[in-house]
Amino acid sequence: MLPTEDERRSGFLERLTARLPGLSHDEAPGRGGEPRPSKALPRFLSRMSTREAPVLLDLGPVVGDNVAFFGERLGCKLLIEDLYADVERLTREKRFDTFKDTLEARLSVAPGSVDGVLCWDLFDFLDQGAARALAARLVTLLSPGGMLLGYFETAPSAVTGYQRFVVKDAHAIQLRPYGGSRRRQLVLSNRDIERMFSGLRVTESFLLLSKTREVLLRKPPAPGSEPA
Amino acid sequence: MWKRDDNVRPPAPPATPGPMPAPATEAVPRPQPYAEKPQVNIGKSVIIKGELSGSEDLTIEGQVEGKIELRQNVLTIGPNAKIKAQVVAKSVVVQGEVTGNVAASEKVDIRDSGSVDGDISSPKVAIAEGAHFRGSIDMQRQGGAPVTGGKVSVETPKAEPKPAVPPTPAAPPTGVPKA
Repeated sequence: MLPTEDERRSGFLERLTARLPGLSHDEAPGRGGEPRPSKALPRFLSRMSTREAPVLLDLGPVVGDNVAFFGERLGCKLLIEDLYADVERLTREKRFDTFKDTLEARLSVAPGSVDGVLCWDLFDFLDQGAARALAARLVTLLSPGGMLLGYFETAPSAVTGYQRFVVKDAHAIQLRPYGGSRRRQLVLSNRDIERMFSGLRVTESFLLLSKTREVLLRKPPAPGSEPA
Repeated sequence: MWKRDDNVRPPAPPATPGPMPAPATEAVPRPQPYAEKPQVNIGKSVIIKGELSGSEDLTIEGQVEGKIELRQNVLTIGPNAKIKAQVVAKSVVVQGEVTGNVAASEKVDIRDSGSVDGDISSPKVAIAEGAHFRGSIDMQRQGGAPVTGGKVSVETPKAEPKPAVPPTPAAPPTGVPKA
């Protein structure tokens, strides 16, 4: 039986990683250690810097470095909604299936009022239904021309717990693991991501050595407002 | 023996020529150094419901419900404090619990033991690792001119998406949970 496209892709990644001596999944740059380079973040920042006082929605735990960085860099309004905490709480309470029902109340800002979303690797920890519901909600919240930055693992992992994404500068992010009881649930291909974020367009996608895909999505601007 | 005669004063310094005599310094209160600035505390057992305003730096260890306004001063919310109030100050240091919006003209500093549920408005915000925060942070600059860092510049958007791994139209959806 022929391997699926994802299996082939995954095998390719395994071989690619294996060719780098001494570099395992958890030891890749930026994973709880030295900062790793980010190619999508500078593009996200350049887009946001063209907007006056943009509104950013951060779905991760509050990180002081990020608040200072985005505040000073963009003069933005930052909305912090730590959905990882919700994921962890609902997992512990064994009622994760209610996650998608809480989203409308949790992300209650006006539709079209958010210029940028930092969803980090949150989608990896959701099941299909929750991922679809969250993606649909984020697409609704984004303003025309708004952007979403996400990280998606390309290989399954049995490790439990989450990680903070700490922006060190415009080109580097450091990952700081912290405890949790949930492991990654989904491995999404580019096609899955495109389907899930129906209404957004993948503008950048970078495959990192840490078996993570760094993806930047954009909501099409309003006709005549700015170049696509 | 030798006893100091209070009536004997050291000779006065020669009068400096000038139209105005030196002002008597005794009558004018000297500005106190920063360390000696009066610091008012609201103790652990104190509960205030209503509006609290003032013009001195203040440390709260107790409970306040209502509104706190110290527009020209530093407000420190101690580790034992529980605040359910709208807070306005020059600078706010949070070590305890705050539920309500916080506005500072200079800085908001949430320490590792601090917790804020509410919206923050301040040109500078520092949040220590371990601190709890839920709400929005508005750091819009006064004056509005965007500060652009040296490394970030406005780039011309690319015309076409550039996925690192080209999508395969024939591949079935693979977004299924994997064990």
